[in-house]
Amino acid sequence: MSDAIVYDNVSYSYAPRTARAGAPRALERISLKVREGERLGILGPNGGGKSTLLKLTLGLLSQQEGTISVFGQSPTQARDKRLIGYVPQRVDAELAFPLSGRQVVQLGAAIANKPWQRLSLEQREDVHEALVTVGAQAFAEKHVGAMSGGQLQRILIARALASKPKLLLLDEPTVGIDPAGQQQFASLLKQIAAEKQLTVVIVSHDLRTIAAGCDRVACLSRTLHAHTAPEGLTPAVLAEVFKHDVAAIFGELHVDAHKASACTDPTHHHGHGDGSHAPVTITVSKGGSS
Amino acid sequence: MKTIQYLTDPLYSSLFWPGVLAGIAMALLAAGLSVFVVVKRLSFIGQGISHAAFGGAGLAAILGLSATFARGAMQEAPLYGIPQFAVITLFCLGAGLLVGLIADKEATREDAAIGIILVASMALGAILLKIAPPGPTWESLLFGSLYNIGMQDTVIAWTLALGVLLTLWMTRRSLIFWAFDESASPAFGVSPRTMKFVLLTLLAITTVASMKLAGVVLATAILVLPGAIALQVSTRLVPVFAISFGSALAGVLAGIVLSFELDWSPGPAIVTVLTGAFLVAKGVRMLRGRAGTHGVAAA
Repeated sequence: MSDAIVYDNVSYSYAPRTARAGAPRALERISLKVREGERLGILGPNGGGKSTLLKLTLGLLSQQEGTISVFGQSPTQARDKRLIGYVPQRVDAELAFPLSGRQVVQLGAAIANKPWQRLSLEQREDVHEALVTVGAQAFAEKHVGAMSGGQLQRILIARALASKPKLLLLDEPTVGIDPAGQQQFASLLKQIAAEKQLTVVIVSHDLRTIAAGCDRVACLSRTLHAHTAPEGLTPAVLAEVFKHDVAAIFGELHVDAHKASACTDPTHHHGHGDGSHAPVTITVSKGGSS
Repeated sequence: MKTIQYLTDPLYSSLFWPGVLAGIAMALLAAGLSVFVVVKRLSFIGQGISHAAFGGAGLAAILGLSATFARGAMQEAPLYGIPQFAVITLFCLGAGLLVGLIADKEATREDAAIGIILVASMALGAILLKIAPPGPTWESLLFGSLYNIGMQDTVIAWTLALGVLLTLWMTRRSLIFWAFDESASPAFGVSPRTMKFVLLTLLAITTVASMKLAGVVLATAILVLPGAIALQVSTRLVPVFAISFGSALAGVLAGIVLSFELDWSPGPAIVTVLTGAFLVAKGVRMLRGRAGTHGVAAA
């Protein structure tokens, strides 16, 4: 299987060129390969560099050191060729704008059209297919402001799929969505990735989203702390990655992460009647008891 | 009825028709932008830009670009030419860009920056108009006047209207994408900075084209009210823009009729009509919402 994305020793600093020496960098020597067809979760605390890595992958920022290739091309080339589909946080959308779900997806499909070009027949079919794929036909004509969080999330995924990308990047996709919706989202993503043979990268600070929707996890807090299967995350790694976020709230902390299959406590991992267990439970508590 | 007399009697018609035609152009200009102004919460920056036009008019006056012409037997009025329009538009655009330049996320938020530029432009306009050769009156600049509009102004207003509408049509997909989802737009090849610049430029042009009829104080209202009315009535893209155009056109024409009949300034008359329409639309929406709630409760 070939590589979809290759990060090779990538570093990035927001400091101006003259003030870079000695200043802390947003990303420090990131090396990581994402295989084609893989679903990778990038997990990390707020301010850990997740969004910066996403912007670098989209070609919206340029790294000062190292290289990034997306399907063997520069991120900008890959983006211009519409190889990358992007799903933003839904909370950023302006829901008062008078658009239906279908029109949002059509905009995604036709954004590179010339002003005088109408939506082609093929583009209309792509839009329809994207709406069918995410199961949004029933509410495609609804105003975006009248949609639930989960419905809008599906529309934004359909918008990203409408240009038939090979790579799907999702930025905090489950922010503001209830736990049941998050579980549905994970199942949907699994189905889409398999159906469309997509490579998927999810950026999130929510372990549940990453654990339920990804094959592999990269823990990022300025540097890469680990990249492993969700089950392979050790308490030490999670504590290291999240220590800045959690310590501020809980003080001294203890992290317990374990697989559902190895759990002896019947109260853990319940509530997923469809069999899609959250494979890892993380408990963070104060004073060393879990 | 004075309206019919003013528009058909050869003694008056050449004086008033240019204002009516310029008003229609202004309605078309404003209606296209209004939905974006409302949804992107740009009303206040629109206010800042329109007040900057007062400073621009002062600058144009001091540069000697406003000449006083005798027009007809009724009134002496300043005739604005293309250089004057250009100076005021560039001044307004500069003010808009200056807001972006001095606004930051810490000490000077955007609303504070707009407030500063707004009053600074008004003050500059007041000083420059005081020391410039006699030109347009303060009142006509602030509240507009039908008497001030000549055929040349009408031609300029229509040229600007067609240019703005063409630009809106050319950039419609990017503009709508940006308006709906600004943070995602760079990933889809749409630059938020470019889109905001395009919109601010169009706002500046629209303000300058509207200021002779509506005045700098009330030009913003024409940029806000048609979109606000349309968004009360519908949540569908095409109907919203159609209602915005319809209400702007109806509001401007009804306002001009009111100004003829009651001898009001056209700016306040137009704004009164549009505000009334907005209140009606808002009331109907509230009643509909209440009826819907009762319906659900009854069910």
